[in-house]
Amino acid sequence: MRMLALLRKELIDERQNPALFFPALIVGAVAILLPVIVAIIIPYATGERLSDSSDFQAALELYRDQPRTRGLDPEAAVQAYLFQFFAVMLVLIPVTSSMALAAHSVVGEKQARSLEPLLVTPITTFELLGAKVLGAFIPSLALTVISFLVYVSVTLVFAHEGVASVLVGPRSLGTVFVIGPLAALAALQMAVCVSSRVNDARTAQQFGVLVILPIPGILIAQLAGAFTLTAPVIAGIALGLIVINAGLMRIAIALFDRETILTRWK
Amino acid sequence: MATPALTAEHLTRHFASRVAVSDASFELAAGEILALLGPNGAGKTTTLRMLAGLIAPTSGSVQIEGDPMTPRAAPRLRTRIGFLTEAPGLWDNLTVRENLSVYARLYGLREPDRAVNDALALFELGERSEDRTARLSKGLKQRVALARAIVHQPRIVLLDEPTSGLDPESARGVRELIVGMRRQGRAVLLCTHNLDEVERVADRVAVLRSRLVAVGTAGELRQRLFAPRLRIRLSTAADQFAAVLRSSGAQDVEVNGTSLSLAAESRPTPHIVRTLVEAGAGIESVERDEPSLEEVYITLLRSEGGTVRSSRGASQ
Repeated sequence: MRMLALLRKELIDERQNPALFFPALIVGAVAILLPVIVAIIIPYATGERLSDSSDFQAALELYRDQPRTRGLDPEAAVQAYLFQFFAVMLVLIPVTSSMALAAHSVVGEKQARSLEPLLVTPITTFELLGAKVLGAFIPSLALTVISFLVYVSVTLVFAHEGVASVLVGPRSLGTVFVIGPLAALAALQMAVCVSSRVNDARTAQQFGVLVILPIPGILIAQLAGAFTLTAPVIAGIALGLIVINAGLMRIAIALFDRETILTRWK
Repeated sequence: MATPALTAEHLTRHFASRVAVSDASFELAAGEILALLGPNGAGKTTTLRMLAGLIAPTSGSVQIEGDPMTPRAAPRLRTRIGFLTEAPGLWDNLTVRENLSVYARLYGLREPDRAVNDALALFELGERSEDRTARLSKGLKQRVALARAIVHQPRIVLLDEPTSGLDPESARGVRELIVGMRRQGRAVLLCTHNLDEVERVADRVAVLRSRLVAVGTAGELRQRLFAPRLRIRLSTAADQFAAVLRSSGAQDVEVNGTSLSLAAESRPTPHIVRTLVEAGAGIESVERDEPSLEEVYITLLRSEGGTVRSSRGASQ
């Protein structure tokens, strides 16, 4: 009940601050447009087929081995490969938005000096932290779902037949809906922890780079052929993120101790 | 004897090697306003936070209506306390109603909407209830913060500098609300630097400078620190009558132009007046010369080695 009351406040506050979502919307637009440019617009503009390029032969072979993609024509297979490859970028959407929302939420409370009156109520640290985390996590998750639906819709409209159905497979879904939320959770917990030590939301967000950097790293590593985001790799990353999240949660709870907030937060 | 609304016993709080509050003991009864005075850094806010169960005392204890404030009991006992923090701390993007509504729900009220409406009516905020608090004046923000502090009908209200930075009209409005809280039977602990405000609203005064220097009514503190004096204004120069008074037994007679000042308890006032009239003095006014609360406060702080006690609060 108390957590819901505070969560409601967080959501109203965010609704009044649409600018908070701009960074995530920009990242989302880039994440969606980039594969469209690479897989659809450039081949269309140059008149060259992606499947004729030697760069994508490995992708074609990979897709011929998988039952879900075996039936695709070569151009569709390369497009499916590229859209799956760039799906990692969608993870940046919840990470960016949750970081911005969490940093604004905690730093905002510090700037408005509204934490002390809040701490006088019977709300527990768990409820307070839970509302803060959910307040940033829920809108981020909603943005992820919307972005993914747009992503799939774009492939339905512009890509070859069968590409969209490949995206609704375990690899893309695992990347976007398992790694994405877990990375977002880690980012927002980091923002919460950093926010307790700074008085500027932008500073708190800058520390979120620590969570954002590995994501393009995964993209580049795939591009370099270091590894492919297969189900076991996704499971491994998810496990790592769960461990990181558990550690960050302990730190966040320690930092959100009432006495610490009142006597040490500046 | 009724259980005090709030009892502080030997409250002490250290921050590393710094002693913020030392051995402070006092009580607060229902329907009473106790003003907590002290210079900046005297430990007033720390004391309020300990009383509200926000920070634990290093030693000593707090009882809320007889129930000990322990970490386990704190969430339950906090429902009996309303706390106005030094800054209003409102959520600027939320409306007045939304601000109060969140708090009504945080306190787990059964009928939060009704409680919010009652608070809006009591603090005359109905017309501004749908305004975002960012758009309110400083005085109105303070009014909303006060409404928030008592939306759950607490029996004890802790106020940290409620009129600080307000214009005289807004400050007066806030003072009226504080007096209203006393009428409702709430126990109010008022932390302030405004001595005039204390004179107007407080039943008792506690002076804190890390340790509690004094507790009592303003009158009690005056009496303990200053011998009462009588000031008599005459229509003519007063020097010639000073000798008359001295010879009649009046003590510590001082002359200042047309005024005479003397120890009030040396002779009965009617006797002094009769002596002066018989000597041919034209008396314009006779009044007890009471030192201001500011004088009392400054004297207390300067001589803080001494201890002043009252019936319901003591310090070391």
